[in-house]
Amino acid sequence: MIAVAVGTNRIDPYLIPALDGVAYGLLVFVAASGLVVCFGVANILNLAHGTLYAIGGYTAAALLDGGWASLALALAVGVLAAAAAGVLLAGLLTPVAAGNHLTQALLTFGVALAGGSLLVAGFGPDDPQVRVPAALDGSVVVAGHRYAAYRLVFIAVAAVISAALYLVVRRTRAGMLVRAAVDDPEMVACLGVSPARIRAGVLAAAGALAGAAGVLGAPIIGPGTDTADTVLLLSLVVVVLGGLGSMAGTLLAALAIGEIQTLGVALLPSAAPFLLFAAMAAVLAVRARGLAARWGAT
Amino acid sequence: MSLTTPWRSRALTATLLTLVLGVSTACGDEGPGTSASGSIKIGLLASLSGTYQAVGTEIRDGFQLYLDTHDGKLGGRQVDLVVADEGNGAQTAVPAATKLLKQDRVSALTGIVGGGSVAGVTPLLNETKVPLVGSNGRPELKDVSRVWHTSYLSDEPGAAIAQHVRDNVRGSVYAIGPDYQGGWDELRGFTDAFGKIGGKLANADGKTTFTPFPATTNFTPYFARIKASGAAAVYTFYAGSAAVDFVKQYAQSEIKDIPLYAAGFLTEGGVLNAQGEAARDIYSVLNYSPDLDNAENRAFVAAWKAKHDGSPTTYALASYDAAAVLDRAIGAAGSDPTPEAINAAIGKLGQIASPRGTWQFSSTTHSPVQKWYLRQVRQDGRALSNTVVGDLATVGR
Repeated sequence: MIAVAVGTNRIDPYLIPALDGVAYGLLVFVAASGLVVCFGVANILNLAHGTLYAIGGYTAAALLDGGWASLALALAVGVLAAAAAGVLLAGLLTPVAAGNHLTQALLTFGVALAGGSLLVAGFGPDDPQVRVPAALDGSVVVAGHRYAAYRLVFIAVAAVISAALYLVVRRTRAGMLVRAAVDDPEMVACLGVSPARIRAGVLAAAGALAGAAGVLGAPIIGPGTDTADTVLLLSLVVVVLGGLGSMAGTLLAALAIGEIQTLGVALLPSAAPFLLFAAMAAVLAVRARGLAARWGAT
Repeated sequence: MSLTTPWRSRALTATLLTLVLGVSTACGDEGPGTSASGSIKIGLLASLSGTYQAVGTEIRDGFQLYLDTHDGKLGGRQVDLVVADEGNGAQTAVPAATKLLKQDRVSALTGIVGGGSVAGVTPLLNETKVPLVGSNGRPELKDVSRVWHTSYLSDEPGAAIAQHVRDNVRGSVYAIGPDYQGGWDELRGFTDAFGKIGGKLANADGKTTFTPFPATTNFTPYFARIKASGAAAVYTFYAGSAAVDFVKQYAQSEIKDIPLYAAGFLTEGGVLNAQGEAARDIYSVLNYSPDLDNAENRAFVAAWKAKHDGSPTTYALASYDAAAVLDRAIGAAGSDPTPEAINAAIGKLGQIASPRGTWQFSSTTHSPVQKWYLRQVRQDGRALSNTVVGDLATVGR
């Protein structure tokens, strides 16, 4: 019977990986957008970004009890805690000259190591259990296949967050300032907007995004000792693939990573260990000049 | 390192030379680690920080539990336990072991979580002539003259469960595991034994599917391939956070109704708490389960629960047994239990009574010849727990 199903429809086995790629890609987008904004606008290379996500993840594990109220509470606490950590980072980075990437990287990497140890000291070395609301803790049938209900809902929620992010950057005064700071930081400073305030605001927003991703994504990329590294690595790949200029580029890059990690692995399992980085190398080889030009401008 | 390495290799050469010449240095040994008052120094090396902190802590606590329940004595001698942190691997384990062996001059070494750490420490054992009674990691070793393990060889769980899977699964089995030495050994143990008795793998090319480690956090694409392969069951080995991801995603995937068989580490200890309901009904093979019905185990579990939350794991048990091995060996080593005498005594122990059931050291691999158990994750009071549902093969060589 299975053989018949495979024979009649060659696409069928790849439906679920393709769908899951969207869920994974959107999670990577929400997680990475903070880093992209941080790097692109404030010109801060924040290697503690994965730790901000881990804060959200551990918050979710600690507060979620299987009810909807706890999800709302965890989201609020996770976003606030990660945003506060972002502001703290901005404070630590104040003496470091903007654009001094090596010092920033060393400082934030140190913060990431210390933060990771603090999280392990506080929550223990074991991966904690994450309890999603009972209504979502099952699977639903999608086109004849079973798929995790939480992930299906996550796709919708992450799409809403992404749209909101786009609107904030495009349509609000804060978004305009942020975009203006990308194009011409001196002029923005001349207009009376303190670069330090923009920096703190951007890091807080980046932390809030990472915290939200950490809470909502905890059932997908769960909290644990290596979560921060995983998320940081994926976010850096998004930066390389999507560049720093536009939300659309970031979204495309994140979705591409999601599909490479799921559909790509399903199609070419033997290439799984290097598929992501082969794609990255290919994009760099083809678009290196374009990327370099864009980096030079910011 | 640059200063100590040439010295160490010179010392190693000297040690080998003395051995070749047949000069016994043990006779003139002043007996490191034992004092006139009848106490003895034991070194415990385990990961108390880093990735394997959970396992390392269990190992420390298992050994300490044996001491606490035996008046702090091994072989009638008061034990001075020196604990050192193994960290994440050989890089941190070797300096820590060097301190234990050369500065503290312990009479025996125990613990060690990582296989790589054991491989790194082994040359030091031959240099200082101190035995290691390891309780977890066991790499492929050429010379095991001073190395003993109370745990298992990595390919044994799979070999022990192969017959059961062959008898109970109607159809082919999909084999999947992490792409590193431990994963290769665990899966090879199963696929070799399973193939020998006529079992068929469902994997497309007849070979085990290995997932990048530790990079794989999303197993959905592999589940799609398992579904497409038409497998009647899945055999796997994962540990740590990969085990949590695998089990949680499996339970919500389109193959959730395909029976899952695994090496016991998939659902052992802390990972079971993180997996929660998703782990229910998973079959696993391990050399221990806290609900084994024998007097030693009842006493062990009761003593453990008096001090810790939850049930003891196989890691804690192996360390408890390492203490039991040292207890008997030191007692048998006579009035002057030198490291050499302890090492010789371990080789003559024979049957060892243990919470896992009686076992003994293999004379060739110095690891246990022991019975393996089939366990299933079931409700036990309020929590889920690994429950023994049957005996499997006795394995060891």
